[in-house]
Amino acid sequence: MSEGPPRRRVVLTLGTAGLAAGGLGLLAALARSVVPDVLYEAPRRFPIGRPEDYPPNSVTLLPERRLFVFRTAEGFHAISAICTHLGCNVNHEEGHGFVCPCHGSTYDEDGDVTNGPAAWPLPRYAMSLSRRGELVVDTRRTVDPDFRLRA
Amino acid sequence: MSEPTRGRIHRAWRRIYRSVFRIGWPRTRQQRLAAMLSSLALHVHPTRVRVHVLRFSSTLGLGLVAFYLFLILIVTGLALMLYYVPHPDAAYRSMKDIQFAVTFGMFLRNTHRWAAHGMVAVVFLHMCRVFFTGSYKRPREFNWVVGVLLLLLTLALSFTGYLLPWDQLAFWAITVGTSIVAYFPLVGEPARYLLLGGHEIGQAALLRFYVLHCVILPLLMASLIALHFWRVVKDGGLAAPPGRMRRAPAWPHLLFRELLILVFVLVLVHAAALAFDAPLEQIADAARTPNPAKAPWYFLGLQELVHYGAILGGVVVPTAMIIALLVLPYVDRRGGGVGVWFARERRRANTVFALLAVVVVVLTVIGTFFRGPNWDWVWPWLR
Ligand code: HEM
Ligand code: FES
Repeated sequence: MSEGPPRRRVVLTLGTAGLAAGGLGLLAALARSVVPDVLYEAPRRFPIGRPEDYPPNSVTLLPERRLFVFRTAEGFHAISAICTHLGCNVNHEEGHGFVCPCHGSTYDEDGDVTNGPAAWPLPRYAMSLSRRGELVVDTRRTVDPDFRLRA
Repeated sequence: MSEPTRGRIHRAWRRIYRSVFRIGWPRTRQQRLAAMLSSLALHVHPTRVRVHVLRFSSTLGLGLVAFYLFLILIVTGLALMLYYVPHPDAAYRSMKDIQFAVTFGMFLRNTHRWAAHGMVAVVFLHMCRVFFTGSYKRPREFNWVVGVLLLLLTLALSFTGYLLPWDQLAFWAITVGTSIVAYFPLVGEPARYLLLGGHEIGQAALLRFYVLHCVILPLLMASLIALHFWRVVKDGGLAAPPGRMRRAPAWPHLLFRELLILVFVLVLVHAAALAFDAPLEQIADAARTPNPAKAPWYFLGLQELVHYGAILGGVVVPTAMIIALLVLPYVDRRGGGVGVWFARERRRANTVFALLAVVVVVLTVIGTFFRGPNWDWVWPWLR
């Protein structure tokens, strides 16, 4: 390559650089296309019915949403039913918090770990009231344990 | 038919036959050598092999068995693909159809399943054989590394296949398995998102697992196996102790043994497929966790560790083991003890490896048989 006249060398260098850039660009495009932009799954912010659907002082499991909805004197709050250890569904035991059937993690009423392999609390999700008066849960936003939605 | 016509047909037939098999059926030593070199399937073999490695006890035929199982999996897998539909609305029903509405469908599924499980076990044993005979030493270091990648690929293939039936077993095993992935610092969460094509195990995840299982991973596996075999020949044939250099022609001595092992594998796999049915539980249900929820058996050792601590079992131990396996042949550079089982010079290395292998097996057995609901200890014979 270095033998040839300067012009040929310039063309070769430019050509090689162009090919390399093109190839890398294609690879990058391919890699990016693999990251999904459209998700074919349930929306992460969803309505769960009207406040009066939930009796006072109750804990309701929404199995399809994998979510517990609490209604207490102070208001509403929502706690995930998905164990933070490896993703099994926890069961709620009245007054004792949550127990995971898979590897025995236990959580208190607020979702904080009291025992077992789980390392993080059960996420507590933000709730709001829609304009139509429906309760709305947003699982993209977690909130403090003392969060309550007055409704 | 007249004599000249018969002769013409015979000559035409010979021309066609010879265009495919240039040598014809070889009868002399010379012809056999030529046949070994002129056929695609045969030329991956050396033409002559050392008598030492022909003995069953030097390899136990394990690498070959792994390869045969892979071939069985390709053939049965292609047949299953004609009926299987990779969508959550249809996958489970198509499994039922395969079992009950396809002639020999159950048998096909059983064969695929047991060959897959067998392959995980056999590849592991093959690795142990290579270690205990010191066969990863120079010049075979790189082929050991290729082997480690093959082991990982084998596990990945089994794991991706596990989701496809879309029953409770599949769904929760993959839930637990992909949650372990998420524990890797920094890359864990994005890797899980990429693998599932979203946040949950749904349509996108099933399709991704399907494409990985049926196209990407088998292609990778086939390419790496080709490299693995090529390197066996280029590294001077299988490892054998220096000195014992007597050789024998590969045709018939090696080929006969290969055929014998093939028959043996076919009989065993088909017997297993006739005797035991592959499980199919109820359709996947994200709202209901079975108790206990277990990963596939070859990951239950890890799940047992994960029960003590997710970072320990999910990240530290597997990463350390893979790295240790990959660098092993470059760290353990002492010569000696190659091609002999449990050579005295290698007593320390063999003891360490054997201990680790026993730990892996014991953890797997505990996770499989001694863990019940809530991952509590149970005695399997008291159940
Ligand atoms: C899909 C998986 C694999 C297949 C199909 C396979 C196949 C084979 C075959 C057919 C041989 C010839 C000798 C024999 O039959 O034992 C061989 C040799 C060898 N394999 Fe594998 N193998 C696999 C995985 C592995 C693994 C996991 C390792 C180690 C980590 C490994 C390391 C080696 C080495 C170093 C040799 C040369 C041994 C010698 O020279 O004696 N292979 N393999
Ligand atoms: S998944 Fe809940 S304890 Fe393991």
